[in-house]
Amino acid sequence: MITPLYPLAALIGQEELQLALLLNAVNPAIGGLLIRGEKGTAKSTAVRALAELLPEIEVVSGCRFSRRPARRDELCLECRGCDDEPGISRRAARLVNLPLNATEDRVAGGIDFPASLKRGRAILQTGLLAEAHRGILYIDEVNLLDDHITDLILNAAASGRNIIEREGISVSHPARFILIGTMNPEEGELRPQLLDRFGLCVKVRGCDELERRVALLTRREKFDRDPLKFRAAFQTESDDLRRRIKAGRRQLRKVRMPPAQRIFIGELCAANNVAGHRADLMLEQTALALAALQGESEVRTEHIRRAAPMVLRHRQREAQPPQPPQPPQPPMPEPPLKNNNQQDEEKSENQEPPKEDGQEPREAQQSTGRPPDSASEEEHSAAEGQEEQAEAELDDSEPNQPPPGLEDSVFEIGASFRVKKITTARNRTARRGSGRRSRSIVSLKQGRYSRAGRHGLQGDIAMDATIRAAAPYQKSRSGNLAVKLDPQDFRYKIREKRLGNLLLFLIDASGSMGVRGRMAASKGAVMSLLLDAYQKRDKVSMISFRRADAKVNLPVTNSVEMAGKLLAEIPVGGRTPLSAGLIKGYEQTRNFLSREPTGRPIVIILTDGKANVSLGSAKPVDEMLKIAAAMTAEKRAKYIVVDTEEEGLVTFDLASRLAEALEADYFKIKDIKAEDLVNIVRKKQ
Amino acid sequence: MNKKPIYPFTAIVGQEKMKLALILNIITPGLSGVLIRGEKGTAKSTAVRALAEILPVIKVIEDPSFQLDPECEYDNYVEICRALNRTESESPAKLKVKERKVQVVELPVGATEDRVVGTLDMEYALQKGGKRVEPGLLAQAHRGILYVDEVNLLDDHVVDVLLDAAAMGVNTIEREGISFSHPARFTLVGTMNPEEGELRPQLLDRFGLCVNVQGIGSIEERVAIMKQRILFDENPAGFSKKWRQQSAELTARITRAKEMYNKVETSEELLFEIARACLEVGVDGHRGDIVILKTAKTLAAYHGRTEVGLTDINEAVELALPHRVRRQPLMEITDSVESLRAKNRAA
Repeated sequence: MITPLYPLAALIGQEELQLALLLNAVNPAIGGLLIRGEKGTAKSTAVRALAELLPEIEVVSGCRFSRRPARRDELCLECRGCDDEPGISRRAARLVNLPLNATEDRVAGGIDFPASLKRGRAILQTGLLAEAHRGILYIDEVNLLDDHITDLILNAAASGRNIIEREGISVSHPARFILIGTMNPEEGELRPQLLDRFGLCVKVRGCDELERRVALLTRREKFDRDPLKFRAAFQTESDDLRRRIKAGRRQLRKVRMPPAQRIFIGELCAANNVAGHRADLMLEQTALALAALQGESEVRTEHIRRAAPMVLRHRQREAQPPQPPQPPQPPMPEPPLKNNNQQDEEKSENQEPPKEDGQEPREAQQSTGRPPDSASEEEHSAAEGQEEQAEAELDDSEPNQPPPGLEDSVFEIGASFRVKKITTARNRTARRGSGRRSRSIVSLKQGRYSRAGRHGLQGDIAMDATIRAAAPYQKSRSGNLAVKLDPQDFRYKIREKRLGNLLLFLIDASGSMGVRGRMAASKGAVMSLLLDAYQKRDKVSMISFRRADAKVNLPVTNSVEMAGKLLAEIPVGGRTPLSAGLIKGYEQTRNFLSREPTGRPIVIILTDGKANVSLGSAKPVDEMLKIAAAMTAEKRAKYIVVDTEEEGLVTFDLASRLAEALEADYFKIKDIKAEDLVNIVRKKQ
Repeated sequence: MNKKPIYPFTAIVGQEKMKLALILNIITPGLSGVLIRGEKGTAKSTAVRALAEILPVIKVIEDPSFQLDPECEYDNYVEICRALNRTESESPAKLKVKERKVQVVELPVGATEDRVVGTLDMEYALQKGGKRVEPGLLAQAHRGILYVDEVNLLDDHVVDVLLDAAAMGVNTIEREGISFSHPARFTLVGTMNPEEGELRPQLLDRFGLCVNVQGIGSIEERVAIMKQRILFDENPAGFSKKWRQQSAELTARITRAKEMYNKVETSEELLFEIARACLEVGVDGHRGDIVILKTAKTLAAYHGRTEVGLTDINEAVELALPHRVRRQPLMEITDSVESLRAKNRAA
């Protein structure tokens, strides 16, 4: 396309990004680059600009796989049929952009239907991986890419070859490319497996200096006004960069890695607690490239130090997503109290902080980024005040004021564990979406082609089935194609894929949840489920109910991280408006289903079932059960009740009655751990 | 067009900020769109649909599904013709050019990806052994306005595609054996009701401007709205005619501003003012700065000035920053950036 590009040399700031790009250009063995960062920080601009600077490559003329001349080992199916003396041509290295909506056959390659029909034999249509060979494969927002496409790319990147085995084609061709991805972590994390595949990782953010911001603004404005003139102004700088890349590539062969430095690399990786050995290799390659770029012939410690953050950043074990968020910090003590922790604890145990006192920490915390709601909390160990609380819990009818100690405590998240497989039954109505929890037929051109049918997504034709259907009639039909097809022959692909569900958490945050570590355990359970949701790419939503009403803490979102963050902050205290909670949850479910009519939300209710606030005049528990029974009318939603009441002499078993009314699966917290190898759904059927 | 008459843009009462944001985007398509957030029944959709009336006229290469610029997109045209198996005219001079109004293309919420980006006509391919690409809505929206009602309810896949195209100005179809791209520079206008869920931050940032609309509070204006609406419903054609003069004036003003935009200058101090505003409220990245500058310049041009003033900057900040302010999850998008700045400054 003729839209002029913003030159790399004209970028302001983002030095690390520029360096990482150059290093990759110098040494493709580094294995790509992942750019993480906030929006509007020239991520994409920089990558596109790099492509212009790459040196030209020599290719066999007309070879669809960009074969290097004189490399017999790269011979592909087609080349073997070529003449012995192929022509050689030079062209610029390609930047291949992989759009998020690319289908499997476009990425890996597939059958070229029209050509195959004309000539009567299977003809390969090369994919983007073939095109990207010896160039750059660029994936914007790589964390949003569909999983099965990601797998294809991973396979090719790992082996340097792309293997096509589908629909009667069996070809493999070299596919070595620099993989560059950008992502915005707010949108969800990458799988660790894919994360590790990127050689380097760079974090970008906007700059905070006034002068540089203005300089940047001025440049951009100049560029927008007259792109060509702007590019001309940076011509010398661009040429200079181009030369440096070329020189660096030549130099790379001469750079030596002294053994002592190699040991240093090993130590560095060990000290940083990285998984696997790829980090060591990548660090070595990066250091080599850095030395080459600076025109030196030996790797020095500085090179390694400079390269290390880029290589190790995304490989450190601690950085593995998603970490259970740190327990919330105790409220910032006032300056005079700062000296002694113990004293502090005693204070909070015995007295409520006076109102004025609470004012200031609230502001301080707002700036550190927590909702004001959680600001007035005090750290509360679950064992304290157990007795009064237990009393309060049984004292359901006591009006309003719960004991002061119960007001708005925030409990930390208890231990998390692996959860059982929670899925919905296989969905037979076609759905759309992404994720990998429940199996479903999808009305997308994605997913595994499971069988062919007469009806399917317009245009998603199953070649093999179509030809089989047409085969008996070939003699009687006329036409100039090798295979003659009529509309009634067409068969469409029916694709199947795992899709994410909506996990809607309905959390009881009333005072009774504060006792005996119930809330901590519940939060641990929710956290475990969230971790699972993260891996399955579910949507999540969180509703908590306490005092008089229910509150949507988190509307339906893909960001499980955000759910985790919010979970830590949910305060506990007050009475139990379970009816309100159920209704809010139902509303949210219905709302979601109206957007995604084929969706299958899973509503997970964590409560002890002790409702004591009703919406109307009925008794809270009766009202709750009535509402629950009414909610079963929505057959698309699946309910799970997790009972937080621990076993003891006196149990109320209200949660199990709730589960019964909801026709829900019922678990104690310990039951959802993965150790019991019973699949939750199977158990039900 | 013999379609149902559209309520005239100029006859909309109140909602000045929304109207201004839309006009600014017509003047400078580089502002990359506007997001209108607000409750139901606040003339969001009416305003966007009414834009059709006041849009300027552009020259296009005659073609049913593309709006290519005859001056600088001839190469694209040739490429597209080849991809579509059409015969192209052999030289730029022989192109058929016609003038038409900038179009408003509406993207329905249920739109499939195929319909949006375009697809290969598979049945045709199999029966005739040839390729035929069916261009999608993005092709139609090139150089026009792409209107997405309820943008927050759109399928995630479609949103990603939109983002891609909006960012690059190019729509690339990479599917079922076709690889085809065409220019797709459009002004994205989205409306949404925040009660039904927020937009992903990434998409939010791609909208140049953001306007929060509310129902109007004053009795007089509410009465005026009712009166106008009744007049329109009783006699749509007559009503539109009455406003035609004003519409023409507005169109003329927009065209003048368009021409003037490139002559507008900004002093160095005001650039600092922009950067300061962004730093004070705390925004992600630099897109905010760039959009403020463009908006301020457009505002100056709209008011017939060749020099950006401080008021332009302040007005631009209110339009360009509300949705870019770094905020806590679930925090509301602010109504007034100015008050936020004041607060941050005090803190």
